[in-house]
Amino acid sequence: MESLWVAFVTGLTTGGLSCMAVQGGLLASSLAGQLEKDLSRQASQKKKTHPSAPSRHSAVVFPILAFLLAKLTAYTLLGALLGALGSLFELTPELRAILLFGVGVFMLGNALRMLNVHPMFRYFTFEPPQAVRRWLRRTSREENRWFTPLMLGALTVLIPCGVTQTMMALAVGTGSAAQGAALLFAFTLGTSPVFFGLAYLATSLGTRLEKHFNRVAAVLLIILALVSVNSGLNLVGSPLSAEALSRNALQALNPPAPGQIADASNTLTLQVRDDGYFPAELTARAGEPVTLKLVTDNTFSCSRAFLIPALKVQRLLPATGTEVVEIPPQKPGTTLHFTCSMGMFTGVITFN
Amino acid sequence: MAKQRFSVPDMHCSACVMRLESLEDELPGVKQVKASFHRQEMEVEYDESHLTLDALLNAIQKKGYHPQPLD
Repeated sequence: MESLWVAFVTGLTTGGLSCMAVQGGLLASSLAGQLEKDLSRQASQKKKTHPSAPSRHSAVVFPILAFLLAKLTAYTLLGALLGALGSLFELTPELRAILLFGVGVFMLGNALRMLNVHPMFRYFTFEPPQAVRRWLRRTSREENRWFTPLMLGALTVLIPCGVTQTMMALAVGTGSAAQGAALLFAFTLGTSPVFFGLAYLATSLGTRLEKHFNRVAAVLLIILALVSVNSGLNLVGSPLSAEALSRNALQALNPPAPGQIADASNTLTLQVRDDGYFPAELTARAGEPVTLKLVTDNTFSCSRAFLIPALKVQRLLPATGTEVVEIPPQKPGTTLHFTCSMGMFTGVITFN
Repeated sequence: MAKQRFSVPDMHCSACVMRLESLEDELPGVKQVKASFHRQEMEVEYDESHLTLDALLNAIQKKGYHPQPLD
């Protein structure tokens, strides 16, 4: 029971914010669709005001609730599955990177559709088959106001943030379907208030700009798409990510002033904090094995899911403690990128 | 039974598809409506003895769209 409470509080604090950063794009897509629909409905009903038309308040609240409900259900089921399997059910960094690229392209396509850039971008909108449309229409008078947020909420299981992955690993550790389900239920429930609050604030702000809504939403989607693609680039250790590019640009301007140089035994110590890795730039001697010490101290953010993509190193660090990663000898001039498992925090080790 | 295709250039999201297809339930004489946001078109199968093309066009326009008969 105590672990459930810890899971809930983790969700309420770091989990909500970290997951919002990763999954916010999906929520934004579902809300964008809903609000766009409401606006078009209002436009066509301008002359005769419809007494039963849903209020703006409920137009925002219902899709958020549907999204969160679907997310909660999907994660509870995932928890049951993980607990039952009792074995690691983890997406590889490459697969997660591909998913992030996919989400990025989807959002970018939708943004370009909303800006009416080219008819081909209409194909970025998901159209349920006709039979499903008819069923939805007839079962709910509300048209498909629930469908998109429900589906997208459930899809969040495909892009868990680092904190969620920590919880997923814990669910596996329970070795029981019921306990795994309860753990992820408690955690996801904990993340919900933060999601709801941020999403509600964001969309209320958006509706005030209703004339420009499509453009605002499109710009927002483009930003989220770029963040998503950038995370994907970080995950595969690409030198083209924003962080890698800015690091290189800074180095070109100022001669390298490395954050930390390896000691006599070629050992590096990296502080893993809630807000990233410190120092983010490390230097080690080439041609010798390197001992990398990862130190956590009450760390609860996704920085705990540590990756070195080029070496396929993947570690889930304890909340407090020291984990050692042995790095084989590298050639002079090699740079090894490291990142959290969602590509949000990054750093680099240079060998010379 | 008659079949008529329309170009509906002001369909701007996939919700419009469901709005147009709801004519199936709302307009007597309409048998089936197939709309596509991707193609910006709709096809209506209707009973000419119950419904004229003008009345059909009118009903679509009332929903806020500007259909252009095709073929």
